Amino acid sequence: MAVCPVYTTQSLNSTCSISTPSKTHFSSHHNHLVFYRTSKRTSKRGGSSSCVITCSAGDSQTVVIGLAADSGCGKSTFMRRLTSVFGGAAEPPKGGNPDSNTLISDMTTVICLDDYHSLDRTGRKEKGVTALDPRANDFDLMYEQVKALKSGIAVDKPIYNHVSGLLDPPELIKPPKILVIEGLHPMFDERVRDLLDFSIYLDISNEVKFAWKIQRDMAERGHSLESIKASIEARKPDFDAFIDPQKQYADAVIEVLPTQLIPDDNEGKVLRVRLIMKEGVEHFSPVYLFDEGSTISWIPCGRKLTCSYPGIKFSYGPDTYFGHEVSVLEMDGQFDRLDELIYVESHLSNLSTKFYGEVTQQMLKHADFPGSNNGTGLFQTIVGLKIRDLYEQITASKTAAPLQATKA
Amino acid sequence: MTINAMRGGAKYKGTQMRDKQLSEMIEKKVTEAKQVCEADETSDECKVAWDEVEEVSQAKADLRLRLEVEKKDHLESFCLENPETEECRVYDD
Repeated sequence: MAVCPVYTTQSLNSTCSISTPSKTHFSSHHNHLVFYRTSKRTSKRGGSSSCVITCSAGDSQTVVIGLAADSGCGKSTFMRRLTSVFGGAAEPPKGGNPDSNTLISDMTTVICLDDYHSLDRTGRKEKGVTALDPRANDFDLMYEQVKALKSGIAVDKPIYNHVSGLLDPPELIKPPKILVIEGLHPMFDERVRDLLDFSIYLDISNEVKFAWKIQRDMAERGHSLESIKASIEARKPDFDAFIDPQKQYADAVIEVLPTQLIPDDNEGKVLRVRLIMKEGVEHFSPVYLFDEGSTISWIPCGRKLTCSYPGIKFSYGPDTYFGHEVSVLEMDGQFDRLDELIYVESHLSNLSTKFYGEVTQQMLKHADFPGSNNGTGLFQTIVGLKIRDLYEQITASKTAAPLQATKA
Repeated sequence: MTINAMRGGAKYKGTQMRDKQLSEMIEKKVTEAKQVCEADETSDECKVAWDEVEEVSQAKADLRLRLEVEKKDHLESFCLENPETEECRVYDD
């Protein structure tokens, strides 16, 4: 007979209610009992003060992933690749606010942290703060809600509408198997950081950022090279002060830089991408090339593999990053053909693939996504597989451990 | 009346409206930012103005991505339930 852990909960608006956890969290073998206990009514103040004890099965703990990125929410390529690894396409919640930033698939729910803005566009203008500034964000609410979802409790999450610049009425978010929180500040608040099972920081260098924003904005009336540059420059102080420091906390950093293979390249088309992986992270074993812990420099193009200009260059080795031991896998260049990709995959180890060629298969599935021919796509896919592996390890360890009742 | 899918996935008037609104906002906010920053480049007002430009530029890009690449109109499920609203009028040529 399974015994459930017992929690006391208080709902956010201080009138307690019994939360009905979504079906997916209870396997058919577990019965659950909900105990409802009211404290003595204080008739002077009116209304009862009651605590609710929610019983959830041991495997209902949601795995929480944090992704720090400055490229909008939920529609980023990384998110699409990640949700694809778990199967199914992530879509906005059906029938709700059409401007919702949330994406839901079978296994994952992706929440945009802009939804925790405490100031809407007008409010920020009045106070003179950018969206990058912590003063524009409600970290208390972010913490409460991520904590609730992690414990299997549904929440009413605000919606920040990027079109109107207003905060819309909340939407109900049910606890998923995997919760991804994406945005500018997933690792800013220490309490939220402690809730993350894995965290990633997407570190785009200034030159590459400029090149990408040119591609994004040049077709828009109103934009020019100058305006694009001015926008990046004006946001830089806040970015450096508030966003960039989060990378020291990330379990994995994907650093995107201009290529070193083409002298004086400023088109930003060929990229050098570094996957910086923290050592000693629970449930996460870094990818390596040839010999774990050694230093390798590898050009796969040669007799067995012909590549077109500028070719492909890999390197791997141990390093330190903000005082932490890390392993760094780096790819400079581009894939032109399928056989290059599979050749590279066959030489990498600890990929957490379920079958030979899975990385290549995932990349091919999304050949139209940006970065599919370089390190960004490759490393995003690999990180996706690592997260799957982490999720499976965490879930396995939970069902194995005996469940105990804890004091309310 | 025949239903045509416009320009990729934009089927509903609401999406057309958003697309147009965002484009206009980009233009407007770039102009504003240039004006505000002319006075004092290092002011808070200046950086907030350019941050707004970034916000609407990204929102426009997200919409464009959904329509042209994913070929989905995100009003689809909303309009299935609320076909009578102004936003859900089907855009046809």
